[in-house]
Amino acid sequence: MKAVILAAGEGTRLRPFTATEPKVMIPVANKPILEYVVDAIVKNGIKDIIMVVGYKRQKIMSYFGNGDDFGANIDYVVQKNQPPTGGTAHALYQTKNKIDEEFIVFPGDNVISEDTVSDLLENMEEYTMLITRSETPSKYGVVTLKKGGKNIENLIEKPERSPSHLISTGIYSFSPDIFDHIEQVMGEGYYDIPSAIEKVRERNEIKAIKTQGDWIDAVYPWDLLHVNGAALKEINKKYNGLIGENVMIKGNVKIGRGTRIRGGTFIEGPTIIGEGCDIGPNVCITSSSSIGDNAKIGPFTSIENSLVMGGVAIGSNSSIVNSVIGDGVKIKNNFSTYSDDKNIETDGTLHKVQDIGAMIAEDTKIGSGVTVEAGVIVGKGCEIKSGSTIRENIDSGSRVM
Amino acid sequence: MCGIVGYIGPKKPGEVLINGLKRLDYRGYDSAGVAVSSENEIYLQKKKGRIGDLSEKDIPIGKSGIGHTRWATHGRPSDHNAHPFIDCRGEIAIVHNGIIDNFSSIKEELINNGHEFTSETDSEVIVHLLEENYDGDFLEAFKKTVTRINGSYAILAIHKDSNELLVSRNQSPMVIGVGDQENLVASDAPALLEHTKNVKYLQDGDIARITEDNIEIWNENDELIERETKKIEWDAEDAEKGGYEHFMLKEIFEQPKAIHESILGRLTDFNELDLSQYNLDAVQFIACGTSAHAGFVGKYIFEKIAKIPCTLEFSSEYRHSSPSDSYPLTILLSQSGETLDTIAAAREANRRGNDTLAITNVLDSSITREVDDVMYTQAGPEIGVAATKTFTTQVVMLYLLAVEMGIERNVLSKDQADKYRDELRRLPRKVETILNDKEKIKELTESLSKADDIFFVGRNINYPVALEGALKLKEIAYIHAAGYPAGELKHGPFALLTENTPVIAIAVKDQTFEKMLGNIGEIAARDSPVIVVGDQDKELEKLADENYFIPEVPPLFSPLLVNVVLQLISYYTAYRLDRDIDKPRNLAKSVTVE
Repeated sequence: MKAVILAAGEGTRLRPFTATEPKVMIPVANKPILEYVVDAIVKNGIKDIIMVVGYKRQKIMSYFGNGDDFGANIDYVVQKNQPPTGGTAHALYQTKNKIDEEFIVFPGDNVISEDTVSDLLENMEEYTMLITRSETPSKYGVVTLKKGGKNIENLIEKPERSPSHLISTGIYSFSPDIFDHIEQVMGEGYYDIPSAIEKVRERNEIKAIKTQGDWIDAVYPWDLLHVNGAALKEINKKYNGLIGENVMIKGNVKIGRGTRIRGGTFIEGPTIIGEGCDIGPNVCITSSSSIGDNAKIGPFTSIENSLVMGGVAIGSNSSIVNSVIGDGVKIKNNFSTYSDDKNIETDGTLHKVQDIGAMIAEDTKIGSGVTVEAGVIVGKGCEIKSGSTIRENIDSGSRVM
Repeated sequence: MCGIVGYIGPKKPGEVLINGLKRLDYRGYDSAGVAVSSENEIYLQKKKGRIGDLSEKDIPIGKSGIGHTRWATHGRPSDHNAHPFIDCRGEIAIVHNGIIDNFSSIKEELINNGHEFTSETDSEVIVHLLEENYDGDFLEAFKKTVTRINGSYAILAIHKDSNELLVSRNQSPMVIGVGDQENLVASDAPALLEHTKNVKYLQDGDIARITEDNIEIWNENDELIERETKKIEWDAEDAEKGGYEHFMLKEIFEQPKAIHESILGRLTDFNELDLSQYNLDAVQFIACGTSAHAGFVGKYIFEKIAKIPCTLEFSSEYRHSSPSDSYPLTILLSQSGETLDTIAAAREANRRGNDTLAITNVLDSSITREVDDVMYTQAGPEIGVAATKTFTTQVVMLYLLAVEMGIERNVLSKDQADKYRDELRRLPRKVETILNDKEKIKELTESLSKADDIFFVGRNINYPVALEGALKLKEIAYIHAAGYPAGELKHGPFALLTENTPVIAIAVKDQTFEKMLGNIGEIAARDSPVIVVGDQDKELEKLADENYFIPEVPPLFSPLLVNVVLQLISYYTAYRLDRDIDKPRNLAKSVTVE
């Protein structure tokens, strides 16, 4: 059986973190989100994977190659001329020539686990939708079930008032007939899978399987912390690199090759530190944090529950709490973030976010003694002069004097 | 990244195997070999070196054959360690990719049973184990053998008395090509595409028996099963380019990773050389082509960081120069380690009594046996003829060396050394930032592709980068280009400047920046279009017709970033002209002739 992974979209709601790579390639626990999907599928014995790619596709293709390194045979299909929004069915349709039997479909941008996939495989029928429970159902496609709870009754996209807590994971099994349904709805100007499913339901039942496995989604930048924390649960204890004197490491901490942890540093797991980093002396890193390759963390800095990506440099005496720091961000000394509950506005909607620090996108440079307030998003490639306090979101490429 | 090919059918096995191996050469290799089952004996030919070194005409006609290319990662490349391996009686031959975890216990047992080993490889135990298990039924022996070994493997075996290829895989790729009255097997599809586009992918634990007209596959539970036949729709070349149109572009994009791999470990704990044993009063770089430009950048790096006076020589010139009575440390740079002139120069340097150190990308290549010490760049195989990531990693090694030598000579404080190391650590990300701007850089090349002559100018540490930029453009775009120190233009080349001769000017904010601004002004006054590559600056923006500003970096580390921009400029210029970028005319990847 073949698995199709939809990985063509940008993930616009995660901007500015998708400026140079698609959402599926954002690293959580130092691995691209998409790799969790591939791993979960391969662990279930499915090797033939078709990836539908589009936005910044070379980042995906050069990372995964032909799949050898991941135990899979990966074939790529490029989705050209993406419809403006909700083009999942259009993306899937690109694989039509490569599929002649029942197959399964995954979104590439959710962290899932091995049992998420096996829940589907064990009980699937010709048309199956994998569903899960969500505390915030109205962000997703909410489903109601028919009597008996076996089949889908209705699927409502992002309702204001949710009729249930059950949502679609975007994971399906389909018969190849789905392509006829997609053709039909595309003819009517709809390009999303839920619309195609509406057509299917006119003639077939769609089985609902509720998964107990992981299905963790990042819609907005602040969701990345949650996804990172969930991915870190899988981290095993493994120390490579050089560990200095009086370093204390507790819990599951993974330290990459060529990394130096200098004296007096405290690290609490689950935490992952990448390759070639220079950490300390006297740095404090607490759960659940990820630090990417070639990062440098200066003395007396503390990092708590944060996602710090590759090539980041952070000076001394800084405090990073519940924050996302993008690739190549350079921060001098005495930098502060703090965490609070915030109402964050993006694209005209107000989101209530709990315990959020700063979110700083790639290649931004920050001087000494800067404070970024809770819930603030700083764009890509900004320059912030020493001593500033940043209270509002800043667009990419801005300079704060 | 070894390569495997197997063939059974009416064609000449030698030809099919050698062509197949050549299609896998992107995987990188240092030795190659084939075995053919012919007239009730196994014919074997294997050699360290190129696939082309195998003598195809000596390979007899036979029913079936297997071939292998080996890329040594541990253990030295040699004729002995090359595959295929044959058993003590010369009846069975195998090739293997991967690692056999429990080989030492099996080997001990086999030696006790009287088997003689000819290599240090783990692979050889497979063939002796097969011999031990063979009792008239080759398939039975093969199945028995596979259950004994643990690890990752793709194995292909032939026996002189049976007309079949036996295959097994576990965590190592293997694909069967389904032909018409012939069948093939290979570690990757490009090796098969000349013969068939129908393939079956084996899965972990599978064992297959392949004859001319039949393919049987057993799964890990020894159940006879079917594996679906699939049609491959891409052509051979696309397969390994990872979505890039050319190997060169792929390799340009691999540079962040290549830098990361090359500095890994060496930044925190540099212990591979004992610098105290060298004479560090003077350093001499010797190399050819792009490697010579890396050495030339090295001269500036060493002088600045380690305060060592340096000279640069082309290998082909050094060989015939007169010895002096100084004894500099001689650093030889060669991507392949097989460059004949550089090897000869290493011998000459030894003869003159110098300490010699080679920097190369290929493990145990010829040059490594001519020198006192070796440092390996960790760039991975480079397929495009135009060197890109190997230049970058060579220069990275020179930064690392200069820092260690500065400490050794007590001219560099620990603090300053750490600052330099931090800069190195940040390079992968800065290169990535440039690569993300590829479209912007592509736009710069529209006018360049229409020019017949292009000048590259730079000063100080970026003068060698100007030379390298010009070389790359000549190599792949076939446009005449010349690199100059910016101050030299007015001593002659000025006569050539017109509105039809674009000038690429490198301007970074070191002590030469003001002078460079002056030079650019002079060039612009001759109506030559100026493209500036360098540090962000308002004045430059005004002076230049077009510009690309690199991420902020100390001038000492700017050559690597500027050079990546120039690589992309050459690439896109050649692309617009529809050149054969990965295989430019008249050029070869390793120059093993004088």
